Amino acid sequence: MRLEVGTFPVRDVVFGSRTRWDDGILTIDRGPVLDRIRRDNRILDVDLVLARPGESLRIVNVRDVIEPRVKVRGPGVTYPGICGRSIETAGSGVTHRLSGVAIVESANVVFYDGNDGWLDRFIDLAGPGAEAAPCGSLLNLCLVLKVTDEISLEERNHAAHGAALDLSDTLARVTTDLTPPSKEVFELAPCDSSLPKVVYITCLRSPQHYSGSLTASWMSVYGLTRLTPPWHLHPNELLDGAISGPASSHSATTSWTMVNNPIVLDLYGDHGRQINFAGCIAIRTRWSEQSEKELTALQAAKLAQLLGASGAVITYDAGGNDFIEVIHTVRACERLGIKTVLLTTETPPEAEGPPLLEPLAEAVAIVSTGIGRPSLERLALPSPARVLGGSELMATASKPWERIPSNAPMDFHRWSDHYGLGCESAFEY
Amino acid sequence: MPIAMISALYSVPVSLGVNRVIKGARIEHVCGNPALGSERDRAYRLQVVRTALQSLTRAISTPLLLDPTQEAT
Repeated sequence: MRLEVGTFPVRDVVFGSRTRWDDGILTIDRGPVLDRIRRDNRILDVDLVLARPGESLRIVNVRDVIEPRVKVRGPGVTYPGICGRSIETAGSGVTHRLSGVAIVESANVVFYDGNDGWLDRFIDLAGPGAEAAPCGSLLNLCLVLKVTDEISLEERNHAAHGAALDLSDTLARVTTDLTPPSKEVFELAPCDSSLPKVVYITCLRSPQHYSGSLTASWMSVYGLTRLTPPWHLHPNELLDGAISGPASSHSATTSWTMVNNPIVLDLYGDHGRQINFAGCIAIRTRWSEQSEKELTALQAAKLAQLLGASGAVITYDAGGNDFIEVIHTVRACERLGIKTVLLTTETPPEAEGPPLLEPLAEAVAIVSTGIGRPSLERLALPSPARVLGGSELMATASKPWERIPSNAPMDFHRWSDHYGLGCESAFEY
Repeated sequence: MPIAMISALYSVPVSLGVNRVIKGARIEHVCGNPALGSERDRAYRLQVVRTALQSLTRAISTPLLLDPTQEAT
């Protein structure tokens, strides 16, 4: 699989008379762009607002953050499979991306009825919240949607996320016939056979357990969110957004994060030099029985072994009992002789438990991304001057019935850095 | 005071050193299994609870992990 990714950097966004990219400026003709979204009569209201880093602004009811990426040549589409998009295998041909800008999907649509299905994510563009998360340094194009509640919840999700992906296509497509200022070729060329083979294992929570549905909206693999056996994916598929989708919780992965996954990019950079990047494995977590969790772990390790791996890097995207699949995958890999590194956050000290839910002895190489804030003190978020996306938000992550005004100061901020995108140093931690 | 813990995700209490761990069925129904139908589900539920209670009377020198379906209750 050979994927060429052309990057069109965006250093500012303006609203003007023709949607185009020109020398770093993305111009958006707001009228036709919004009319196109309104053609879906499930969308009652839509607005597109640019939020710049450093602005005292908070966007609430955030469902996803999407980097505009589009397939300009070759089979398939970017962000395949989800919201009815083509399921053709992605990862080859030519993809163009707009860097430095992201679409923030904000809508009055919860993911499903049940635990963690609620909307609790918000983005601050200034202050400590902005420093903690990568979105704080992107030009955020906030797509604020109001979806009709006269259809099923799953259809509402389809409408909201579909609109955001459609906008991503519309914006990225302006680059189709242009020459990218920079481009990179992603190809796992044959390399020195003495280099150790390393796989990247990404563990993704499935909403199936909490939602009771096989088709609940969430971070998906080719659009599937249900509990499935492990997937074997080429890293190019991840770069084309094969793992994408909206998800709740303040620190959930975003579609933006998965196409800019630092682990994938670093392993690619090392391919042929220090390692042989042997591929990616995606497992779903939150099976509801011990033996199912252990089966997933054993099968993931077996797949790594069949790929010839002697090393593995493991990340995951959700805490709680999802961690059991993760740590058992570490154990299973180690027992097959695959040296495994786990990248993880730690439980903060006030939680009064072990730093990891299940500290298995086989996990001997752990990279910690900290407890989600620079110090043991709570990270206070000041009141923003302006709010987009809703007038109230959840006071705490676990009590959806407790609401506070969207512009309230928050006395606590915690962001889980699942992939190593954080900016705090070991000294600060 | 001895404590018996019934858990569907029993690897966690085991790794944290809980002394008497009894395997539960699934997160959704830890102490039972509705798929068995009401009579056999009741028998299974009694098996789980009796295994837990009996474990409290056992003197142990190493932690116990018990499968109710394998124990005589």
